[in-house]
Amino acid sequence: MTSHGPDPAHGTVVGGMGGAAERRPVPWDDPEPLSGPIGVPLVDLLDRVLSTGVVVSGDLVIAIADVPLVRLSLHALLSSVSARMPAPWRDGGPL
Amino acid sequence: MTEARLDVDRERMGQDLVKLVLTVVELLRQLMERQAIRRVDEGDLTDDQVDRVGSTLMMLEERMAELCEQHGLRLDDLNLNLGPLGSLLPRD
Repeated sequence: MTSHGPDPAHGTVVGGMGGAAERRPVPWDDPEPLSGPIGVPLVDLLDRVLSTGVVVSGDLVIAIADVPLVRLSLHALLSSVSARMPAPWRDGGPL
Repeated sequence: MTEARLDVDRERMGQDLVKLVLTVVELLRQLMERQAIRRVDEGDLTDDQVDRVGSTLMMLEERMAELCEQHGLRLDDLNLNLGPLGSLLPRD
């Protein structure tokens, strides 16, 4: 039984995609921090992140014994293709 | 005597490596599946495209099951338990 909407005392993590078996309501007014596992599988979170779109930018240096060897500079846009975010090629592209 | 033990480890290690690779592939497959569902819901795909995407995803799913069986893995072996973050893939 998944209730679609937080009932007043407890907020329920709504998983519309498929009910995880051991979903327990997450008490909002719980003094100690969130203990149980979040009821949503990571792949669903990634899917939602992709559907809204995310930009990852940053620098990564791989070093051994404080000797920088490899540098990775990232300006990545991760998003699902939609009218708002069109794909650069009409079909699958050159690859 | 040690050769026998080494072989077992090498085979065991091979299986762990295969499990890692199949986990990544399964994660991407499920991600693409969800994205495809969203795209179909949007409705800007032609029927032909929807058919092709659907059949491709189904073939991919069967191929994944075959690969797992080939290496003696169950599909939910690929699922990772990320502790406080919950699980990587849905536990159906």
